[in-house]
Amino acid sequence: MLDTRGLKLLRDLGQHRARSLLVVAAVAIGLIGAGAVLNTWALVQRATELGYRSSLPASATLSVNRIDAALLQQMRSMPELAAVRARLAVRAAVQSSGGWRNAMLYAVDGFADPGLGRLQPDSGSWPPRDGEWLIERSSLEFSGASVGEPALLKLGQGEAQPLALGGVVRDVSLAPGWMEHLVYGYATPATLARLGAPTAFNELQFRVRDAALDRAGVRRIAAAVKTVIERSGARVTAVDVPEPGQHIHAAQMDSLLMTQGAFGLLALLVCAFLVVNLITAMLAGQSREIGILKVLGAGPRQIMALYLSQALLLGVAASLIALPAAIAIGRQYAGFKADLLNFPIAGHAIPWWAIALQLLVGCLLPVAAAALPVRRACRISVGAALRDIGIVTSGQALASTRRWPVGGLSRPLLMAIGNAFRRRQRMALTLLALAAGGAVYLGAANLRSAVGASVDLLYADQRHDVSLRLAEPQQAAALEAAALAVDGIAAAEAWRGQRATRVQADGLDDGFTVLSLPPASAMLRPRLLDGRWLTGSDRTSLVVNSAWLKQHRELAVGSELALTMDGRRQTWRIVGSVDAGLQPLAYAARAALGGETLATSLVVRTGSRSASAQLDAIQRLRAALAEAGMPVASSQLQSEGRRIVEDHLLMVVDFLGAMAWVMIVVGGMGLASTMGMGVLERTREIGVLRAIGAPGRTIQLLVQAEGLVIVVLAWGLSLPLSAPMSLLLAEAFGRIMFPVPAQVMPSAANALGWLAIMLGVSLLACAWPARNASRISAARALSYE
Amino acid sequence: MSDPVIRLSQVSKSYPGAGGLFTALSEVSFEIARGEFVAIVGQSGSGKSTLLNLLAGIDRPASGEVIVAGQALHSLSERALSAWRGRGIGIVFQFFQLLPTLTAAENVMLPMDLCKHGPAAERRGRALRLLERLGVADQADKFPAALSGGQQQRVAVARALANDPPILLADEPTGNLDSRNAKALLQVLAELVRDERLTVVMVTHERHAMQRAMRSIQLVDGRVVTAPAEALLHA
Repeated sequence: MLDTRGLKLLRDLGQHRARSLLVVAAVAIGLIGAGAVLNTWALVQRATELGYRSSLPASATLSVNRIDAALLQQMRSMPELAAVRARLAVRAAVQSSGGWRNAMLYAVDGFADPGLGRLQPDSGSWPPRDGEWLIERSSLEFSGASVGEPALLKLGQGEAQPLALGGVVRDVSLAPGWMEHLVYGYATPATLARLGAPTAFNELQFRVRDAALDRAGVRRIAAAVKTVIERSGARVTAVDVPEPGQHIHAAQMDSLLMTQGAFGLLALLVCAFLVVNLITAMLAGQSREIGILKVLGAGPRQIMALYLSQALLLGVAASLIALPAAIAIGRQYAGFKADLLNFPIAGHAIPWWAIALQLLVGCLLPVAAAALPVRRACRISVGAALRDIGIVTSGQALASTRRWPVGGLSRPLLMAIGNAFRRRQRMALTLLALAAGGAVYLGAANLRSAVGASVDLLYADQRHDVSLRLAEPQQAAALEAAALAVDGIAAAEAWRGQRATRVQADGLDDGFTVLSLPPASAMLRPRLLDGRWLTGSDRTSLVVNSAWLKQHRELAVGSELALTMDGRRQTWRIVGSVDAGLQPLAYAARAALGGETLATSLVVRTGSRSASAQLDAIQRLRAALAEAGMPVASSQLQSEGRRIVEDHLLMVVDFLGAMAWVMIVVGGMGLASTMGMGVLERTREIGVLRAIGAPGRTIQLLVQAEGLVIVVLAWGLSLPLSAPMSLLLAEAFGRIMFPVPAQVMPSAANALGWLAIMLGVSLLACAWPARNASRISAARALSYE
Repeated sequence: MSDPVIRLSQVSKSYPGAGGLFTALSEVSFEIARGEFVAIVGQSGSGKSTLLNLLAGIDRPASGEVIVAGQALHSLSERALSAWRGRGIGIVFQFFQLLPTLTAAENVMLPMDLCKHGPAAERRGRALRLLERLGVADQADKFPAALSGGQQQRVAVARALANDPPILLADEPTGNLDSRNAKALLQVLAELVRDERLTVVMVTHERHAMQRAMRSIQLVDGRVVTAPAEALLHA
């Protein structure tokens, strides 16, 4: 049973229903934003941690030219290794409705219980039977294949054969197939042999026994394994040691979620500004009642407890509304992220600590926001509280407005400008909320421009429309001639991609791709960052891109390094670095590798810019090359590749910018409440204006003008604030994807666009208070107390 | 006077104003015995409300002593003053000052809840009895906005009596009432003084109110004077 204090608490909230709902809405919005990101992070963390660990991921993968039973037995007897398996990995192609898709097919020595790299059956048969293949879940839609139906598969120059798709599996160690533009498939060694694959396994994978080892420790074991393999007479061509216990995209996801979480907290802070304003206004209207309570014997603690309990109640209400929404959005978003990571998320519950934290923040945020205003209100003397008559502007403050350089403006307009500054703390908080939203909005707009410009630069270097990968190396001159003879092909250039390995201090090879091309290539003109580009006389010179240098921080332009390519070991010199591509790549002159006559890929420029004409040209080209005995394994339009890259990048930008809209909404709510409170406090003043002849329209315009003053100031403040915000966003994006040059100042178009949004927010936020102000009758206002 | 329930001794009070320091009270001294009905009279700006605020502990004197119901108010902390106000005095204001979101009965129960006066289960009964005493028990469950001025003031008196205070302070209690209600309220106050030996100190500038009191203390420009009340009212 509530006593009179509890009754007052509840009824006061009911009496100021609009304001109470506004506090609840503000806290709920902020909590939904921050809570959704927290829930997503918690779910994804748990799913990836459990999912990745339970898949028993391989600690290292070695490409080996010959693996036999004896070698496997020897590996399995090594005490450092918990599990070993052999795998056959072959490049293939799968025919879909959109043409041929690149594919990677895998066969292992025992699917059922490998002890590492576990696959999760999703549907259909498991393990794969001879004569059928299984597809990785993330590749299914991309491939266009259907379970139970045959799909055409071929390996290199081999004949395309129909193979029934027996089922779907999930391989959490892989990035999603749709993202990589690859169809991942699994079959028995016998099935792959039917397609023309070699019968021997070509990869050795192992899992270390000590799960606590770091990457350096795993590399030491991998070096020992490599030594054992080479002593058996086999050759190791590549060693891949991923970061232990971490999914390949986990770091990016973490960065993205952390950044979004930071913005979620910023949104929560902006909500707190609004709550402070609203509670201060509620308390201002309670001054007299606080005085009465003091007269009746209430102590400061009793009064504080009463009003903080009100704030707590609002927080509880906001949390109960926000929590289900944050959970629902969090699960949706987590599902989306999990798709990006190729992890199952269903069945995972949001951890109790995440829910408890959201409840705690939601309940305590209004209490924290109310603490200072409540304390201040409780300190007012009884006499002053009982004498409270609303806004009193000191003579000094009024006198100072006379010195403002706003000559030529009408007196009512000057009044509106002055009104905006009468409650400075409230105005400051409203300004900050709007300006913060603006800073994030403009920062995200800047980032979008910067990313767009980076993608433009990335693709500006590439002067070709289509790249084709050949089934096997071909004579470069014949290849180019055959391509140029095809209708629709304007230019063609043959390139060669080769794997280079460099022996590192721990004895393991560090492999990367070297692309050899004509130094005076018409198809690639990357932007030089340091040193020089290739020349026709270069024989042992390399130019590397910035992604390569990032991976090899100990090297720079001018460094020398010993590389093995095609079985030949040579010392190379880095002569330049370029800004080209997101993947680590090195460039050499085509003649330098003795491959003047050999090419592994062809890049062409088509005569037409339209996608359909380009696709026709590619089909004619593929047919012509196949007829000339130079079959193509796969091809990709540059425009398609660019679109995929842009989609991914802009998705991240949009995620980062989504929080801006939360803040803009809250800022707008803050403006609406500020204007509403202002109208209420100046009821008598408005009555006086009405009494001396001001029509309702003029009153409305005054209120709207006051709102416009605030938003224009907020707009002005957001412009310089957007500079550090742009730097922050660019830095965050750089951690998540790749570095982009930060665009610090907003473009004129974005700045004006933001001003237009602010003006719209002002008109909308001030509409109701303006309407209310215009409806105040003189008689009622003048008797207002 | 033996054991006065109120004693002021050389009390002065000033406020900072636009034109310098304004002296509201200057060396005011007087005593009030238990069971007296005293009117504090004077023109507007004479210091009546300031005096009442000092008696209520709402304000502090710049100098002098204020002793009410045995408590030296000038030396109590703010917290101690709040606690003392809850039990030591009841206050009635010109503009009633009822809490708008509580009913009449709840307004009367509020001081009991704040000071934990009596068992919680009995507070409503006590409130209803007080309202009955003041003739407004039938308005117990109505909100102040639904009551007339006279009814609200009666509820305010009932609230002032909620914690059985020995002293009732009233600041222009009839200032916002019509003559009929004002007369009725003054009658109630007189009855409380007569029947329950309540000490009532009422600030007023109205003649008919002053006439109901046993005696008057006249203030002129912050000082106590001894001129007849009638003369002052016509000055």
